[in-house]
Amino acid sequence: MPAKGYVEISQEGCKGCGLCVTHCPVSCLEINTSDTNSFGLHYAVLAQPEKCIACQNCSVICPDAAITVYKKLE
Amino acid sequence: MPEIKFMKGNEALAEAAIRAGMNGYFGYPITPQSEVIEYLASEEPRHNYVLLQAESEVASINMVYGAAGAGARAMTTTSSPGFSLMQEGMSYIACAELPCVVVNVVRGGPGLGTIQPSQGDYFQAVKGGGHGDYRLITLAPNSVQEMVDFTVLAFDLADKYLTPVLILSDGAIGQMMEKVILPDPVKPSTNKPWATTGKKANRERNIITSLYIQSEDMEAKNLRLQKKYQNIEQSEVLLEEYKMSDAEVVLVAYGVTSRICKKVVDLARAERLKFGLLRPKTLWPFPKAHIDQLAEKTVTKQFFSIEMSSGQMIEDVRLVVNGRKPVNFWGRNGGIIPTPEEILAALKAQL
Repeated sequence: MPAKGYVEISQEGCKGCGLCVTHCPVSCLEINTSDTNSFGLHYAVLAQPEKCIACQNCSVICPDAAITVYKKLE
Repeated sequence: MPEIKFMKGNEALAEAAIRAGMNGYFGYPITPQSEVIEYLASEEPRHNYVLLQAESEVASINMVYGAAGAGARAMTTTSSPGFSLMQEGMSYIACAELPCVVVNVVRGGPGLGTIQPSQGDYFQAVKGGGHGDYRLITLAPNSVQEMVDFTVLAFDLADKYLTPVLILSDGAIGQMMEKVILPDPVKPSTNKPWATTGKKANRERNIITSLYIQSEDMEAKNLRLQKKYQNIEQSEVLLEEYKMSDAEVVLVAYGVTSRICKKVVDLARAERLKFGLLRPKTLWPFPKAHIDQLAEKTVTKQFFSIEMSSGQMIEDVRLVVNGRKPVNFWGRNGGIIPTPEEILAALKAQL
């Protein structure tokens, strides 16, 4: 049974480069194309939270350190 | 000991400006360049420079004009729509022969465009977007390290030739984070006898103007400027070559596109296609003499201009090649960053 996780993405810190989206093994992240942050950039969001396995790939790859991953304790 | 940091392109540029002894920054935030003014604002209490957020880009370039006239190392940064607004001021500063550094972190256009990286401001940068016969020394960085190096170089060139220097970056380099080696801070020379710092009893008054009512005076000014520009064209060309010694197909690319093209060259070489990359580091002065030699070489079969615009630099390449070899174009625009595989496939179709 894989771990359950939750991803918190800082909207203002994200520049929408999409690296986290391409590196998520379970495709739970996506770029939100309907809203922008104060820079006018589309930011990444946790679109399917139930899929997240708390692997932390997204937070490691994020060049702007905008992602924090939480792991749910059993 | 050089200081090594992991920084965003825009922040590295701001830090380099501080270390180069910049003492006046006048800017207006615009994505993808806003980190420059943010960084400078957060560092301001620890350094001795004037930081002012102007009410518009028109105001900020004219503030730079004033500060440069008073002998400051002045700088402004902007992105494409803001650079369009600055053109009048650029022409004034070029005519008044004042040193300043302008940074354009290009985004997609025309119009308000998009906020993703592009190279659509090439014409505006190197052909002189303002009125009259003037030129801008145009430096095109392709890494965060070069954002730092070219900022220091830009201030020095501006002081050496008394002319505005443009750093033509793009949204990708500005937003990218990379390792940088920061230079030691320098104390720039304050010996500027032409600066309007208040007339002393023992010297003539200094006048800075770009208005010459008499045509003869204006023509003399133009001739003087042209002589300066010829001098720059002869001595300040910078370029980089990659696997060019036996290249049959020469890719010409600058900025972030040149990094993608390096990979294209490697991919092509793996397929035994003899590709090479020529990267102008200075877009004006353009490396004319070098491309002229390449066009003469029998091994060279074809030139490609690869751009994130609709074909702007290709005109300069064609001018120099002058029909001796075919010059083709490939590019994407509107904020799209092409992949190496995509470029290689498109080029192979045009060989």
